[in-house]
Amino acid sequence: MVKTEKVTLLTEQYHQMIVITPHLRAAVAAAGVQNGLAAVITLHTTTGISVNEALECLESDIDDALKRLVPEDHPYAHARILPSYGSTAGNPTGHIKSMLTGNHCLFPVSDGQLVMGEAQEVYFYEFDGPARRTVTITVMGEA
Amino acid sequence: MSQVIDIHTHPAFFEPICADSAQLAFRRQTLGLYKAGTAPLQHIFNQMRAAQIDRLALLPLDLTTRAGQEVVSNAEIQRLVALDPERFIGFASVDPFRADACAVLEQAFNGLGLAGLKLHPARQQFSPADPRLFPLYEICLRANRPVMFHAGISLQPESLGHFGHPAGFEELALCFPKLRFCLAHFGWPWVTETAALLLKYPNVYADTGLLYFDSAREFYEQVFRRTLGEHWIDRSLRHQVMFGSNNPRFEQLRMIEALRSFGWRAGTLELVLGRNALVFLGQERAA
Repeated sequence: MVKTEKVTLLTEQYHQMIVITPHLRAAVAAAGVQNGLAAVITLHTTTGISVNEALECLESDIDDALKRLVPEDHPYAHARILPSYGSTAGNPTGHIKSMLTGNHCLFPVSDGQLVMGEAQEVYFYEFDGPARRTVTITVMGEA
Repeated sequence: MSQVIDIHTHPAFFEPICADSAQLAFRRQTLGLYKAGTAPLQHIFNQMRAAQIDRLALLPLDLTTRAGQEVVSNAEIQRLVALDPERFIGFASVDPFRADACAVLEQAFNGLGLAGLKLHPARQQFSPADPRLFPLYEICLRANRPVMFHAGISLQPESLGHFGHPAGFEELALCFPKLRFCLAHFGWPWVTETAALLLKYPNVYADTGLLYFDSAREFYEQVFRRTLGEHWIDRSLRHQVMFGSNNPRFEQLRMIEALRSFGWRAGTLELVLGRNALVFLGQERAA
């Protein structure tokens, strides 16, 4: 059995970290899969998905580290008009941060329950907001 | 800081006026914004909040004689303004070559309550000082409404940049010294010519909706510090330059952040980000 649902987010900031674990738990509960895997995947190239502990201090450190690694003020090649869009591509930092964080995460499902470590939460990262974003949650396995 | 106004945005992809998929496809092709997605108003408000912008001027485009229809109509602009009159400032558009152009503009001002006229010489293909346009300018004068002209090159298909050359606006400035009008996009690439017009004619404005190369920070450095003299806007043109983003073709958030950190005096920044727009719109008197 494979079930996929989409979650839409309207992000509010240029950089934003959003805990989306409740969406994942709800999708697993609704899927009816007893043993298998749950995948969270973002459909965008300037967003990220990762797993970490939901602490204000860590969010600040992660945000700070990403900004240090990928500064806004740098001569990126992607800062230009894209003819296929007819608009500017001013979001190279978002693409690079997206590469660093990755676009998905996976968790086991056992006896109908999501298997997560106590400190683990799933984060959606916005790197080029505000924007309308879509994340898919796919639950697959034995019913 | 007084209210911050983006004097140049295109609402063609705001969801409340995007129910018709054929019209949406027409807008993408006509405006040359081939992958533009629709935006719920909440997203627009989120963008404004992130950029600390209080109000947006919404610009339509009437291409009745050139493309057979309006890209965004005056009635659609009025509908958007009615959804949030505190945030939205609605402009009118009229194809100057439609037979009922004057009646359409009168209705837009007097019936729909729109705040100014948007014209696009490069796409509508006319010279700004063409006498056939004078009746429209007279209506704007009588109604105390400004004109926002697309100026400079246009990335829209089927547009001709020479109609947007700043030199073509001098005769208009001379003939209509009380008509407030703006050369959008600072008339890029002819920015020095635009600066010269602003220097000579106090009724002529320009907006900052230019991001044709590089990042916003890099491009503003190039244009406003190297192509133009570093101090020209801060010292001489500070009452005639308005923040405009040309969203969604350009990047509202990064453009306004680049201007906020550009190094102009605080008073100049306040003028550029909002107060000049109020004077342009006729809502405040010039200092």
